[in-house]
Amino acid sequence: MLESMSCPACTTPVAAADRFCESCGAELHPAIIAIAGNASLGDATAAPPCTSCGTAQIGQDGYCERCGHRQPHGRDHAELDIGLAAGVTDKGHHHHRNEDALVIAHTPEPGGTPTVEVVVCDGVSSTPRAADASQAAAEAAAASLIDAVRAGARAEEATSAAAVTAAAAVMALAADGLAAAGTAPSCTLVSALVTEKSVTVGWVGDSRAYWLAAHPAQLTTDDNVAGELVAAARLSRAEAYAGKGAHVLTRWLGADAKTTGPQVMTFTPDGPGAVLVCSDGLWNYLPDADELSATVPGAADAPLAAARTLVRHALDAGGQDNITVALIPFPPLSRSNTK
Amino acid sequence: MTTQPDFAVEVYQNEYLPGGAAEVNAILTITATRGDSGAAADQQTVQAAEIIVVDTSGSMQYPPTKISAARQATAAAIDTLRDGVAFAVVAGSHEAKLVYPSGEWLVPATEHSRAEAKAAVAKLEPAGGTAIGQWLTLANRLFGGHPHAIRHVILLTDGKNEHETPEQFDAALATCAGTFTCDCRGVGTDWVVSELREIASAMLGTVDIVADPGGLEADFRAMAGAAMGKAVTGVALRLWSPQGATVRFVKQVAPAVEDLTAMRTTTGAQSGDYPLGAWGDESRDYHVCVDVKAGAVGDEMLAARASVVLSAADGTAQVLAQGLVRAVWTDDTALSTGINPHVAHYTGQAGLAQAIQDGLEARKAGDVDVATAKLGRAVSLATESGNKQIADLLDKVVDVIDPVTGTVQLKAKVEEADEMALDTRSTKTVRVRK
Repeated sequence: MLESMSCPACTTPVAAADRFCESCGAELHPAIIAIAGNASLGDATAAPPCTSCGTAQIGQDGYCERCGHRQPHGRDHAELDIGLAAGVTDKGHHHHRNEDALVIAHTPEPGGTPTVEVVVCDGVSSTPRAADASQAAAEAAAASLIDAVRAGARAEEATSAAAVTAAAAVMALAADGLAAAGTAPSCTLVSALVTEKSVTVGWVGDSRAYWLAAHPAQLTTDDNVAGELVAAARLSRAEAYAGKGAHVLTRWLGADAKTTGPQVMTFTPDGPGAVLVCSDGLWNYLPDADELSATVPGAADAPLAAARTLVRHALDAGGQDNITVALIPFPPLSRSNTK
Repeated sequence: MTTQPDFAVEVYQNEYLPGGAAEVNAILTITATRGDSGAAADQQTVQAAEIIVVDTSGSMQYPPTKISAARQATAAAIDTLRDGVAFAVVAGSHEAKLVYPSGEWLVPATEHSRAEAKAAVAKLEPAGGTAIGQWLTLANRLFGGHPHAIRHVILLTDGKNEHETPEQFDAALATCAGTFTCDCRGVGTDWVVSELREIASAMLGTVDIVADPGGLEADFRAMAGAAMGKAVTGVALRLWSPQGATVRFVKQVAPAVEDLTAMRTTTGAQSGDYPLGAWGDESRDYHVCVDVKAGAVGDEMLAARASVVLSAADGTAQVLAQGLVRAVWTDDTALSTGINPHVAHYTGQAGLAQAIQDGLEARKAGDVDVATAKLGRAVSLATESGNKQIADLLDKVVDVIDPVTGTVQLKAKVEEADEMALDTRSTKTVRVRK
């Protein structure tokens, strides 16, 4: 439906298929970006009641005025919903802050199918400023993906460029004397770029992407000791993850990282489904693609509800780590922006 | 009106608790500061009222140096009052009599009124008994015309309160509490430490011994000077705590230990005020202990919101500063096992005061074993925390064999003044070395 519209900046009548306003140059179809922890577009959690006792009175300092419990703020627990994708992140039961970062976005295509971009990063908590590292990486990667899509880059190129940009953003955090091996701010990264035809995922570290549908599959291979043993077909998955040091990362983003490029894979679904992007706070409890798919059969229809279900599952199973879950229905049809 | 001092609250605590723990401890450092311009302005605008109450019972002339030193000290305190401060002098015996002025009101300090007052004080002659409750009651009546002033009493006595019933005394104390602050001094060794401590605690003031009458003048001058430095009164510590929590105690721990727990006035379903009295440029430390509902690992709770408040006549309270006492439950024992150094220090200091008081009581009762054990513990605590003033006072009561382990022997012969000084000053603390 290419109806006529007016420029949101200068009100000059423009053609809806135009990308820029002929009069003032404003972008007519800006990307929609939601960042977990920023009270911004897509934030599904505005002023909820106390998470502990349910009273509505929350003090300005963020504590319940009745039971004193600290209310989740920023990234402690955030829910994002932009219609074409949704995500939930939670600090879990055992960490005092959330070092996972989540950005979901979509780039409108006048007269065509929008592209959805999702990035999840997991700060390596043994390094300083891990929460800053993951946030910087996720925001830089998402911005890079959107720019590349806008510029017409191939999905694989856009994905590689986003990881390289994110790596630079994390390295910049080490500039103030934290660059020694093992002490540089570090994080993992997984991105998903979903178009009407294909799904492209890129990753560095052990954050994962899955395809949830009639035939579910894990799309990523972990950059950790166990993942490399599995990839080399030395051990079965179960054997590898039972081993000592299985979760030790072999690749990460950070000033002390040996490589910066991501692993990239593109997948062409043969039917509808949903792409799941998550941190290890989820897959430590639900590693298997079939189990994941069975837990949220409605992921393609109600992504926010499904993301909440998966986060709740991880919390109930122990919530040892930060948990981040994002779901992108495929194909990315125009859906009403409801929650 | 006045430029209020700037208040600040700093919180020292280990907020990390193991799962299931419910006791939250924190040290609050409350500091009031006035800029130079503020202090100068206060000299003009702060209303102050000062009453000096001098014991003139018959015993004050045995030896006669006591009454002569009291006259001199009172004159020195009068000279310390700045122009315009409303003041009076009361003579205390089995009744309370005005020395200056002649009627029941306060007179602004001027060169003329100070001279008249000093002339009246020079004629003071000892006679009669001791009824401290009556002295306080007269002071309270005199302050009646000055509800907005910072009201302060210097009280000097040399004897036991024996010419009124304990009920009369308690009633007088209850009437006066909260209307003025009172610093108490005992001269000689015939007064009772616990009596003056009770007055000082109720009236948010200090207590000390001036064993040698010659020391009175400097002490009075210092007390009057400190009173002139106060810029605001009626300050309170307001503690909010979560539903189901109980405040186990609130203690001032520096400059001296004062238990404020029983002084709580309820201000809401989950909050209460503890009186902090008058403030100038100064800093005091408070130990707050709250029992909360135990949380689960990963929970974070606000155990107390500590506000310094100033209540207006209409009941509204202005929050001058605020600090948060938190509880965070963790399964990381490296975090939860450490005791905050401030909390540990003041827990030791409060224990030191208690050990001295218990030890001296046992010594009086003739229980040598308990006295030796308690005073030994006190020596060990004083040594450990670097409280040299108290360690020196303990030295006069016990022979120290090993200060670290607290191995001591009671001295066979102890000067009464030394024992009273140790008792009186047992609550004086040293601050944490930062």
